[in-house]
Amino acid sequence: MEKIDRLGWVAGISFSAFGVRAGVRVNDPAALERLLGYLPPGWKPSPSPVVERLYSVVMGCANLGARVRRFSLLYADRNKLVRTLEPDEVFEVLESDLQRHIAGAAPRRLFVHAGVVGWRGRAILIPGRSGSGKTTLVAELVRAGATYYSDEYALLDPRGRVHPYARPLSIRGETSSTRPKKYPVEALGGRAGVATLPVGVVIVSEFRAGVTWRPRRLSLGNGALALLAHTVAARRRPRSALSILRRVVLHAPVLNGVRGEAKGVVDSILKRLDANVNGRSGHD
Amino acid sequence: MQEKRKPLAPRARKEGLVIEELPDEVLVYDLKRDKAHCLNPMAALVWRHCDGETSVAEMVRLLQAELKTPVDEELVWFALDQLEKSFLLQERLIRPPRGRLSRRELVRRLGLTAGITLPLITSILAPTVVEAASCAHVTMSCATVACCPGCTCVANLCAGIC
Repeated sequence: MEKIDRLGWVAGISFSAFGVRAGVRVNDPAALERLLGYLPPGWKPSPSPVVERLYSVVMGCANLGARVRRFSLLYADRNKLVRTLEPDEVFEVLESDLQRHIAGAAPRRLFVHAGVVGWRGRAILIPGRSGSGKTTLVAELVRAGATYYSDEYALLDPRGRVHPYARPLSIRGETSSTRPKKYPVEALGGRAGVATLPVGVVIVSEFRAGVTWRPRRLSLGNGALALLAHTVAARRRPRSALSILRRVVLHAPVLNGVRGEAKGVVDSILKRLDANVNGRSGHD
Repeated sequence: MQEKRKPLAPRARKEGLVIEELPDEVLVYDLKRDKAHCLNPMAALVWRHCDGETSVAEMVRLLQAELKTPVDEELVWFALDQLEKSFLLQERLIRPPRGRLSRRELVRRLGLTAGITLPLITSILAPTVVEAASCAHVTMSCATVACCPGCTCVANLCAGIC
């Protein structure tokens, strides 16, 4: 038995999300209650204690004298992920690691790092790296009436259709020196989607102040590469990834181009999608 | 007894590749290098003819018949160079003793028309799980994920402006 297994675990939970089984054990029952808010969308408790990934949370005690510091610790399987005096950090790291693990391991879903909204029965995918403006554009589309699917991952099934991953939006403040805050979509006046949607358009863009959005349509192959560049399991499951992305680009145009403020492009994006659905060229 | 192959008959590499056909293009994933390529229609046509039996001269004739327009041999050599650089041919090319033309020189020489496009291969390095996921913002933990651009990881926390 490993040393970590001999620590005093008083509570735990095993669950599954998107076909991945994980578990968390804690030394403090209060931590388990808090933890539930950090689990991924769509998680379900699992009756089986057998998991693919086990997190162990050791909460440091807050009520000690000034001379004693008790760190909080987080392990993923046998690996220490964080050792910190800030309990919140344990939960944030767990959330981030778990999310990433599921995105790479989910057997029946292809996770693409992208924002997603639904509009008139079609999904708008906005793949991009962190800081490219995905969440800002998603938030503006939601304010314009689109249905919220995710600001983090597009979940594609083998047919290339999108499933919801409606976690709270992580929106940055006015300055880059503050960390993002989480907002439920209802706080933006929007609602979360539940239906599976075909992809209607893919918007590959990055924010650049003062720029007018004039996207060009990528070829099918280059569109697939643009999506693969943000596919979490690209190296683990390339065969599946290429097959699914091929299906997406065969039915949805991939538009590439830098853009200015998100509010300024929302109408144009929605009109292009409407035009594409109605069978017109989709180009201005 | 070693099979005698015609001279200058390139053969496409198939081993260690995942191939997805699109209407005009081809997507290729190199499992050994974790690189993904998109072959444009002209590059895809040339690659399809790389069967180890078809010489470059024969390829030119085949392409002319398929495209119904004259095709310069230099265009085919340019495509083969691109394929070789992308490790999509089984063996190194043995080129006739004349220099390789750059893309600009080729366009200038051939005066490419709308009927013929330059063979082009677009490539990306497939992201790792960490690279494809979100980065950590300022004051967030960078214990298991990189800080966003502009921040640096100091004592497992991202510091700076990112």
